[in-house]
Amino acid sequence: MPRHTRRLSSTLVALACLLAALVWNAAPGATPAEAQRKILNIAAKEPDTLDPHSSTLGQSQAIARFMFRGLTRFAIKDGKVTTAETEPDLAESWTLSPDGTVWTFKLRKGVQFHKGYGEMTAEDVKFSLERQINKTPGTRYGVNLEIIKSIEVVDPHTIQIALKSFDPIFLLRMVGYQNGYIVSKKAAEKPDQFKWNPIGTGPFYFDRHVPREKIVLKAFDKFAGGRPQIDEVHWYDVPEDATKLIGLEKGTFDLLYPEVVTADFAEQIKKMGYLIDRRGPGSQERFYINMTKPPFDDIRVRRAFMHAIDRKAIKETLYPGDLARLATSCVSPGYFGHIPMQFPEYNPEMAKKLLAEAGHPNGFTIKNYFISKSFFYPKVLTLAQEQLKKVGINVELQIVEHATFHENIRKNLNPFVLYGGTRITDADPWLSLFFESTEIPDPATGNKGTNFAHYKGMDDLLQAGRVERDVKKRAAIYAEAQKRLERDLVCLPLEDVPGQWARNQKRVSTPFSPDYGEYSLHYSYNYPELLKIVN
Amino acid sequence: MIQYIVRRLLVAIPMLLGAMSIVFFAMRVLPSDPCVAMMGGDATAAALADCSKNLGLDRPLAVQYVDYLWRSVRFDFGISFRQGYPVSEYIGRMFPHTFVLVMASAVVAALVGIPIGIISALKRRNPLIDYPLRIFALLGLSMPVFWLGILLLIVFSLRFDLFPLIGGGDLDGVISMIRSGEMFTYPRDFLKAVGDVLYHLTLPALALGFTLAATVSRLSRSAMLEVVSQDYIRTARAKGNIERIVIYKHALRNMMVPLLTIVGVFIAIALTGTVLTETVFTRPGLGKMLVDAIGARDYPLAQGAVTVFTMIIIVVNLVVDMLYAVVDPRITYR
Repeated sequence: MPRHTRRLSSTLVALACLLAALVWNAAPGATPAEAQRKILNIAAKEPDTLDPHSSTLGQSQAIARFMFRGLTRFAIKDGKVTTAETEPDLAESWTLSPDGTVWTFKLRKGVQFHKGYGEMTAEDVKFSLERQINKTPGTRYGVNLEIIKSIEVVDPHTIQIALKSFDPIFLLRMVGYQNGYIVSKKAAEKPDQFKWNPIGTGPFYFDRHVPREKIVLKAFDKFAGGRPQIDEVHWYDVPEDATKLIGLEKGTFDLLYPEVVTADFAEQIKKMGYLIDRRGPGSQERFYINMTKPPFDDIRVRRAFMHAIDRKAIKETLYPGDLARLATSCVSPGYFGHIPMQFPEYNPEMAKKLLAEAGHPNGFTIKNYFISKSFFYPKVLTLAQEQLKKVGINVELQIVEHATFHENIRKNLNPFVLYGGTRITDADPWLSLFFESTEIPDPATGNKGTNFAHYKGMDDLLQAGRVERDVKKRAAIYAEAQKRLERDLVCLPLEDVPGQWARNQKRVSTPFSPDYGEYSLHYSYNYPELLKIVN
Repeated sequence: MIQYIVRRLLVAIPMLLGAMSIVFFAMRVLPSDPCVAMMGGDATAAALADCSKNLGLDRPLAVQYVDYLWRSVRFDFGISFRQGYPVSEYIGRMFPHTFVLVMASAVVAALVGIPIGIISALKRRNPLIDYPLRIFALLGLSMPVFWLGILLLIVFSLRFDLFPLIGGGDLDGVISMIRSGEMFTYPRDFLKAVGDVLYHLTLPALALGFTLAATVSRLSRSAMLEVVSQDYIRTARAKGNIERIVIYKHALRNMMVPLLTIVGVFIAIALTGTVLTETVFTRPGLGKMLVDAIGARDYPLAQGAVTVFTMIIIVVNLVVDMLYAVVDPRITYR
């Protein structure tokens, strides 16, 4: 071998040895202090912001609950968390004026903000609500607080909120969730900085953010409910579910927030001997049929569509067994006002007959039907496409980015729309968003609402429900609304998919049953302070 | 030479401008809206209108375009729509992660691909050597990096627990120690931090490097085949040099010229490959950031990332052209 080649080979070998030594030296070995700290490792996607009033993404809302609280919270009843009832949290009590328009909240004394930002006062509550009502750039939920006329600080621990009219769900609006979170006025007055330096009163405070890698939260010693048992929460940005699963098995992660829970995913979790925490009411997947767009302006075609869809088959294919529940209403169970509805049974022959009666004996073709390539959308639509084809309705799919899908459905490009989501757990906000005439999307006016059915048949009921103070009468109003949907055939719910996280129960415990032991909204753990490291 | 560099840099300006303009208009031609992407299905019409106003998207397109170009001249790519970070700062934090990944995989690709290409070319008449090496190259070409990545994770991270599952290591720490000079005052800490980065880098670099090695080996093979058929190689043999000298001294150096040609393309392929590699190995970096930015219609972030990518490719190609003169004395620039 020539001399220079020998020299090159020796250099390479020496370099390789040096690299190996460095890597070997860096291999993990927890220090005693690290080993003693109780660290909860979560694999989820990276939040887009930590300002709780600013994001609609699931992961951002899930992490917000670790750091923020509201005046009220979902109540724990018989060992379960319910979304139907509220109980005091940052407010210790409240009263409502006889005319039903003025709420007076007494705040708990001594509740501290993180990082020495001082005691929470009525000024912070007023600021938290007003920054949203005044549409501070970036905030998203002001629309949920438009019912508020004025807010008055009576004293540092008393706040009076006057409403424009009686609001039957006001205590739900004050739950620690989205618009209900109370933030530190001093910290949030600079919203750009607040996004990544959030100050709340929750059980954990924000420590640091390593972009695209992780967010570290630490236990808050002065949390009003007592210091959590867990010392630190490490929230890793892990977009791939496959990587999450490997991490759970390896012990890198304790909790997983998967993109989507498939039968395969659930099977893998079961094989590893771990659990899936299922939390209602979750998200409902459903079709809205645009009743103004031919040929669906004919109710016989809408009925045929519903007869053609085998909801049970779709549910069992995508979410076999316990992974979801067959939907029973256009308003999910767990929402105030829910009643079971009847829908046309799966009957392809009947569908064909109805299509023939409506003047489509050979069916019809829907060209350029846009569907998101993300989440459940392509899977559900592919199954529905096959079922519709059997009765002669041919749907030519265009699979697009999720954002494009959202844009196109608001341009009314799809004659029927597959959609999913979770809302505050009352029929009023739910039905208002999807069936009130003001929410009909219209590219001409720029209205990007979500009434994809173009339904105008329940505005009167929604108005009546908003002023009704009798709980039973309200329930009757929403029951009537669901009956109208049943009659007009504009909504076909498929399945109610619970919020699902995978948990290594040998490492982390929760006092609530994994099987619907909690009802929650976008976060699956209403009480992260009750999570404990057990090993 | 300097005149040549200046001329090339001047030519680079319209190229950069073209790329920036394409990404600016392409993002806006896409049928989507950053506000809908950010706010999802919960958004009301009024909220979406407010959002557009806050992000400055209600301004005329021409105004947005001029504003974008003017800011870019000052390396100010604006604020990320989604996360609210200044884009320049964000790219600055992501770039080192992608840079070390591309460099490490280039090393892997070169160390694996070039010898295989050379051996395959020289032993092309020996099917026992040539065929397995060609199969290896085919395997590398047909194995997607995300599949190989998951495989490596399952074997070396999950089963044998030799390497970490996620993360990029404390690269920020390494950089700050270099900047502050602490690498000299605390050499042990520095070496530990470097080791941590390498520890996190090993599997991603192997995954990306191996898939790139296949391309490199095929190109090396054809480059070597071309070189060994040249007259000067026959002359070298005729002078009585032993085969090893002929290959190491005469063929290898000349093979570098066609290989250098592909370095520019190679960097582009590697940058593309970082997208999947960074996703599978959950590493921070520019590639994954760009894809996320496009999906979320985060215009400033996507524009900033594409501008930086374009600049990297322009600079790499310029450097490659300079290197021609180094490896081949016949080439001079005027």
